[in-house]
Formats: sequence, structure tokens, C-alpha cells
Amino acid sequence: MDPAKNQLKWGPMDVVVIALLVSFCIYVFHRVDSVLIYTWDWSVIPGYLFRWDEEANKFLPNLLIKGLITTLRISFWALVLSSIVGVLLGIARTSERLLPRMIGWLYVEFIRNIPPVPFLFLFYFFISSQVIPHLGLRENVDALAPQSKFLVETLFGPSNLIENFLSGVLSLALMSAAYIAEIVRAGIQSIPKGQIEAGRTIGLSSGQIMRYVILPQAIQKVIPPLAGQFITLIKDSSLVALISIQELSFLAMEIAISEQRFFEVWISVGLMYFSVCFTCALVFRRIETRWNK
Amino acid sequence: MLLANKKHGESLQEKGDGSPLAMGRSLKGHSVSRSNRSIFIDLLQFFLLMMFLVWVGWRGVEAMEYRWQWYRVPDFFYKQIDNEIIWGPLIYGLQITLYVSAWGMVLALLIGLITAFLRLSNSISGRLVARVYLETIRNTPLLVQVSIFYFVLQPILGINNPLWTGILCLAFFEGSFASEIIRGGIVSVEKGQWEASKTIGLNRWKAYVYVVLPQAVPIMLPPLTGILVNLIKHSAILSFVAVFELTTEARNLIADTFMSFEIWMLVGGMYLVMTIALSTLVGFFERRVRGAR
Repeated sequence: MDPAKNQLKWGPMDVVVIALLVSFCIYVFHRVDSVLIYTWDWSVIPGYLFRWDEEANKFLPNLLIKGLITTLRISFWALVLSSIVGVLLGIARTSERLLPRMIGWLYVEFIRNIPPVPFLFLFYFFISSQVIPHLGLRENVDALAPQSKFLVETLFGPSNLIENFLSGVLSLALMSAAYIAEIVRAGIQSIPKGQIEAGRTIGLSSGQIMRYVILPQAIQKVIPPLAGQFITLIKDSSLVALISIQELSFLAMEIAISEQRFFEVWISVGLMYFSVCFTCALVFRRIETRWNK
Repeated sequence: MLLANKKHGESLQEKGDGSPLAMGRSLKGHSVSRSNRSIFIDLLQFFLLMMFLVWVGWRGVEAMEYRWQWYRVPDFFYKQIDNEIIWGPLIYGLQITLYVSAWGMVLALLIGLITAFLRLSNSISGRLVARVYLETIRNTPLLVQVSIFYFVLQPILGINNPLWTGILCLAFFEGSFASEIIRGGIVSVEKGQWEASKTIGLNRWKAYVYVVLPQAVPIMLPPLTGILVNLIKHSAILSFVAVFELTTEARNLIADTFMSFEIWMLVGGMYLVMTIALSTLVGFFERRVRGAR
């Protein structure tokens, strides 16, 4: 009876489930084929994945793959940045003084309670269109020596989009930091009190306790959810398409409109996101189980 | 944002929540008994910090020579013409947001319930369907899901109203979280309860209805209320497609009036009020449930 230890078997429920699935498929097929009379044309997609370059005489990534790379870059740098901010905020939230606790609390609650879309627009109007253009980032990158420019472009993407990229990373990192702060806080608070008392007994200061006793243990607990956060960032980075950051979803929108192929483009992009996130999830799960052994 | 992280987050976050004032547990055991004077100083410093941030923001806006037009804001809510009140666009948007969230909640519960029972059943195809559904939703961004629902499924399934496409999409998205909560609630009921109901001769469905669910529902309620908060937040993503909810109305107003600062601050505030009110309610529920056990 206990559902947790049921044996898998075929039963009457399977008949219902399969019948429903089959009828749904038939209905969809009927709609596409006879009502919409839609002619599929998947041939547009490969051209947007890779293009043949005459000069280099080889295949080069085209918009969709470039977009995917930008998505991964944005997610990676947002993770790095938000981990730093998040760890500081997490420590602040477990501080013994009220002031850092209040600052951490205010930040986390503000970010968690405001929907991401209005937040992104707020960010766009207040920071990305007012502050970032004054930094002169693009000119600085263009003025670099060829070698260091190459390094910067591999890490952060082409220089003509670098300001666009920066606002994408910043906006995502600001949101993600609040969630990482909560992960870190939970990690720190999961350390038994005895550890802290033991640390004090051997004469460590509270800073030393944090550095040598709590953080090394907390980090171990925090790393699996942080890996999960990377997947979350890949998914949430699609939102920055709304403020014209040129990553996968944004390019998908543009291609779908210019080619008038909404079905094919969005299904392919969905599959691209799915394969990346699903692979990451499987890899992280495997690492985690190996680690726990 | 950071939608899928809940899986990790929830288990970790249970250890502590609430306002910074309540969080006395920290590095030194005697922190709770810290003198009132120190708390006063901290509050003062916090206040000064906030003043400083407001001042920086104020100077920034002044440097842009932005012309504030707060006096036009009431018109966005309502106009009074000949003793007749005509509601403004923000009120309409708010109505749609609440409408979407309410129906989304109902459907998400339904989808979550069906998925949870499929996952707990011993039918092979049932579990497979639930698994495919959960992995698909978890590993693709909400924005892409919205696009696929709007550009692909809406014409295929012949839905006439984009509002309902949006509601369906959000319901399927939140349904995946609801199913985890419902499943967790059911699994958390002790094994002995199943055995006892078997002993008194109840069949599986009667055991669910009379024994298991009455115990599982109070455990599920607080996190399920959290889904309503998420629905309000995520409904803003529907502004990407033709759903005229709060964020869309705000964007249209900005396109008309160029009052981006006022409107985004206002709309952000409106969302904050809604989500904080609901979150407080969730916290209240949680404490009641914890107290009852």
C-alpha cells in the first residue's frame, strides 16, 4: 500500500494514460496537417547553427550557436560574481551584529519579492542605459594589445557587444546573489553549535572561527546547490533577452521574426536549452554522488 | 527568479527564516543578550546608510536632468469624470495579473495533483509521462516555454485567447513545483498510517481520501501558498506575449508618457506589496503548522 515502495507494472491505468496520449497526438497531427495546413521547413535551422565561411574555408558557428555561447558566458560570469556577493551577504546574514544582518535581509527580501521582469526593466533604465555607457568599456577593450584583446574576447565575447554583455551579467548576478546568500546562510547555520564552542575553547577569535572552522565545512554543503544555481542561471539568462541582451533567446526571437518560422525556431531553441541544462544536471548529479561516497 | 533552485533551497532554508531581529543565533552564544545600546547604534547606522543610498540615487537622477511628473500618476489608477470613476490602465493590469495568478493557481494545483499521483502510482507509462513532463519543465527557461506555448501550441491547439495560453503555460510551469510539494506531503505521512488503513480494510483510494490526505494537506499548505507568490512574480513574463497584465500596461504607459522612473518604481512597489503580503501570510501559516505538530 505504501506508495513509496510500489513495484512497477502494467495495469489499467496505463491503458488510460496511453489512450489519452495517443488521442492527444492524433489531435495535434490533425490540427497541424488539416486545419493549419502547415508545411514544416526545418532546413532553415542548420544554417543558423553553423555557416560555411569562404575565406576560412571551414564551418563557423552562426547566430544560434553564438547565442548559446553568450548564454553560457553570461551564466558563468554571473555565477562567479554572484557567488562573491552572495557569500559576503550570507556571512552578513549570520553576523552577530544587527547592522550587517539588516543589510543582508533587506537585499535578499527586496530581490526575492520583486518579479524578475520589472527588476530587469528597473535595472535597464537606471543602470544599463545611464551608467554603463559612461564607463568607456568598449574603447578600452579596443585599445588593448592584440593578445590581451584576444583573451578578453574569448572570456567576455566580442568587443562591440561588451557593454551589452556586462549589463546582462550584472543584472543576473544581482538577482542571483540574493539566492546564493540564502544558500550560504543555510550552509553556515547548518554547522553544529558545538563546532563554534570548540573553536572558542581553543582560543580562536570569531573571525578565525569563521575562516578555519565554519567556512571549510559550510562550503562543502554549499557546493551542490551552487552547481544547481548555474543551471538556474542558464535558464534565467533567457529573461535578459527582454532588455535586448544578445543571447540565445533574443537571437531566437529575431530569427523567428525575420524567417517567419516560429514553430521550427522555438522548438529548436527549446531543445538546445533542454540539452544543455539536462546534461549539466546529469553531470552535477553524478559528481555529487561520487563525492558523497 | 531562480526558479528551479527551490529543490535545494527549500530543504536548506527550513532551518531559519524571518526578520533579522529574530535571528539571534550567531557565532557567539550570548549575542541575544547584547545591550540595547548596540542595537540602537546599528539601527542608526542602517538608517544613515539608507539615507546615503537615497541621496546617491537622487543625485544620479538630478545629474540626468530628469523631470519628475508624479502629479500625473493618479491618472494611471483612476480618473473622475462627471462623478463617474474610470479605472486607469494600472488597475486593469493589476486585475489581469490577479486573474492570471488565481486561475493559474487552480490549474497548477490540478496538474500538480495529477502528476504527483502518476509519480506515486505503479503504472509504467504514468510514471514515464510524469517524469518527461517534470524534466522538460525543469530544464527549459520559462521564457522559452511561454514562446512555445504562444507561438507553437496556441495555433496548434486552436486557443483563441492569448490570456488563456499564458495561464496554461504558467500552470504547467508551477504545476511541476506543486507536484513536488504534494508528493513530498504524501510521502511524509508515516508508513504505519498506510498499514493501519490496510488493516481496517480500506482500499487504496479510501486510504488516500480518509487517512493520508487529511494529514498531508496541512504540511503542503504553506509551500503551496508560496506557489501563488511565484505565480504573481512569473506572470510578469507574460508581458513578452500579448497578455495585458501589470508589466505590459506599465511598458505601454512608458511608451506613451516616457515616465519610466515613476512607473517602474510604482509597479515594482505594487508587486512588492502583493508578494510581501502573501509571504507574510505564508510565514504565519508555517509557524502555525510547526506549532501544531
